[in-house]
Amino acid sequence: MNGGGCGRSVVGMIEIEHLTKRYGRKTAVDDLTFAVKPGVVTGFLGPNGAGKSTTMRAIVGLDAPTSGLARVNGRHYSEFRSPLTEVGALLEAKSVHAGRSAYKHLLALARTHGIPVRRVHEVIDLVGLHEVAGKRVGGFSLGMGQRLGIAVALLGDPGVLILDEPVNGLDPDGVKWIRLLLKGLAAEGRTVFLSSHLMSELAQTAEHLIVIGQGRLLADTTVDDFVSGNGKSRVRVVSPDAALLAEHLAGPGVAIASPERGVLEVSGTEAAVVGQTAAAHGLVLHELRTDRGSLEDAFMQLTADAVEYRQTTEGVK
Amino acid sequence: MTAAAMTERPAYAPPQQYRLTFTGELRSEWTKLWSLRSTWIVLLCAVVFAGGLGALISANVPDEAAVGGADTALAYAMAGVSLSSVFVAVLGILTVTGEYSTGSIRSTLSAAPKRLGMLWSKALVFGAVVAVLFTVMVFATFFMSQALLEGTAIGGVSLGDDGVLRAVLGHVAMIVYLALLAVAIGAILRNSAGAIGFYVGVIMVLPQLATLLPWEWVADAVPYAPGNAANTIALADTSSSALSLGESWLWMGIWLAVAYGLAAVLLKRRDV
Repeated sequence: MNGGGCGRSVVGMIEIEHLTKRYGRKTAVDDLTFAVKPGVVTGFLGPNGAGKSTTMRAIVGLDAPTSGLARVNGRHYSEFRSPLTEVGALLEAKSVHAGRSAYKHLLALARTHGIPVRRVHEVIDLVGLHEVAGKRVGGFSLGMGQRLGIAVALLGDPGVLILDEPVNGLDPDGVKWIRLLLKGLAAEGRTVFLSSHLMSELAQTAEHLIVIGQGRLLADTTVDDFVSGNGKSRVRVVSPDAALLAEHLAGPGVAIASPERGVLEVSGTEAAVVGQTAAAHGLVLHELRTDRGSLEDAFMQLTADAVEYRQTTEGVK
Repeated sequence: MTAAAMTERPAYAPPQQYRLTFTGELRSEWTKLWSLRSTWIVLLCAVVFAGGLGALISANVPDEAAVGGADTALAYAMAGVSLSSVFVAVLGILTVTGEYSTGSIRSTLSAAPKRLGMLWSKALVFGAVVAVLFTVMVFATFFMSQALLEGTAIGGVSLGDDGVLRAVLGHVAMIVYLALLAVAIGAILRNSAGAIGFYVGVIMVLPQLATLLPWEWVADAVPYAPGNAANTIALADTSSSALSLGESWLWMGIWLAVAYGLAAVLLKRRDV
């Protein structure tokens, strides 16, 4: 970037600065600040109602922020001379008139920018809707609707892709397909920003993570750091002297559970410490390993206080 | 891949040759209008009613109703055209509210985020389609019904008669005006049922009911109402109408300016 003269903003950056959005009394997004970089897939993670969709709608100018900024390539979305080649967005699956065919929907959007019919056919083939392109969208399944939405996002061959829950409704083949597609697009140097409330999905697709809960930023980190930083790691020990070992390991901050005879699950300490303790007392170990927490665990832990709709067991008697 | 190699990945360059243009938005709205089955059905209904009703009524004029004059002859001929203006208005409303009810407005405004181009291009495309279709329809209906009226006590009129050509073209202008008003109402209310209800209730029916109210100022104001302002331009003999020709055009312009001004401000300010 040095001496490139390309200003403060990197090409392909999505920048959210102190973004706040209120609907009446309800605050959907609360002073959110983060940036999304090109070249990697960035996941946008949060429970339902956390403000993911609102943030994405603000980026493409559909919702005006109550305060703060949402910019792409250093500019507000409405300032682009060719929005479809700058940013491709999949917001809600069915942003299509149910009475129009997939082909005509894409064609109408292509017309606004002078994008040729050839490109419309290209994206239809790319998302695998060739067979049904002439059919009315009202009869589409959720998965077909998602594929059409992805075709719309790719129509202008844009450098920045914003996809809200693109995996919803796709069958396993479709999920695999979109995972490869998004990684491929990021590898071409594009910015790929996708939201999900499914942590497992993002773990396999994204390199970077933005986590929000109740409209606030909870984490802005790599997937690896997120898991090791937030997941509870446990040391699993299999030993014929498990009971004895447990006595020696016990101490402040150390929790020991024994799910079955001869097996210990120790948290609050490290595998090295467990191994040294065993050696010092001449105890035999059959197995010693660290169970790293899953992204799911990390997410649950981080958002434990930020889940908007929590089911309660009160009154269920 | 090393961290250094990651950052040196070349930046992606999107295609440069495409631009969002107003011409593009016009073409897009044209594509959208004709790619819906409802457009074809509603316009076919409008054509059938305009021609069919005009012919049916003209062919069955009772002798005692024959109080001559060009406007009576025109009224029989254009009875169906007035009715079909309702179809056109409903279609005009749906071109906007249909986008909101289906969610396609999000696609439309993502492609054209300045928003106002969408409103102007919808109005221009729909207005032009209605103008062309109804120029053909109104003249066809006129000639057909005048041929039928020729033998009756009213007698046919010809385009050469005083004010007749202007009144026939006035019918076209009136329908285009109502169609444009409907598009704006759709853009303001964004809800199909609400906008159609408003159009039928406030634009069409209310001015007729208002004349029954006991206050004099209401009767004075009624001719200026958005649904009545265009009445004068559809008459061959305007000497007895409340608004002059010029006032009629002026008030049509005022109502369109008010409706589109409000629609534009709301479109810019509201979340989609």
